[in-house]
Amino acid sequence: MRLGHVIGRVTLSKQDPAFRGARFLIVQPLAKAQFAGAPMTPLAPGSSLVVYDNLGAGAGHIVGFVEGSEAAMPFDQPTPVDAFNAAIVDQISYNPPST
Amino acid sequence: MILARIDGVIVSTVSHPSLPGCRSVICQPLDENGRDEGTPVLAIDPLGAGQHQRVLISTDGSRTREHVRDPKSPLRNMILAILDEPERETA
Repeated sequence: MRLGHVIGRVTLSKQDPAFRGARFLIVQPLAKAQFAGAPMTPLAPGSSLVVYDNLGAGAGHIVGFVEGSEAAMPFDQPTPVDAFNAAIVDQISYNPPST
Repeated sequence: MILARIDGVIVSTVSHPSLPGCRSVICQPLDENGRDEGTPVLAIDPLGAGQHQRVLISTDGSRTREHVRDPKSPLRNMILAILDEPERETA
């Protein structure tokens, strides 16, 4: 699971039937500096990705998302999803050792 | 498996039903020399590792699904072991 910052939503018109009713978010993975409190900029370096969401996260939230085949595990039917929002994060306590 | 160091925890109230009850920690992956490598990842921590302890993380979802007893859990990363720390000599 990685942490990411929700920067937008995706709305579909034509879609695979497996996606009916699905919500998708655009998520920018957090850079290391942002764990320590650096500001969240919507266009930070690093590529954003589209994440399936059924928790109701919105722009500005921090989410924990899972990638890979595990992302499709929660579905009853086989669903072509490879990133899944598993948690909306309320609080991050991050204290790396000072070197 | 990933060698990592515990650098923090997260708190989440809205999550997949398999996540509450698990402690979720922020893990900094380490390279073979013990230096930070890449951005931190999250893992569930059934062992109760302490801050800055070094751990082994499994990225195998099937073991994690077994642990949380939910065959439909999307969780993947789980702490499997805490490393022995070398004794530090005090001057």
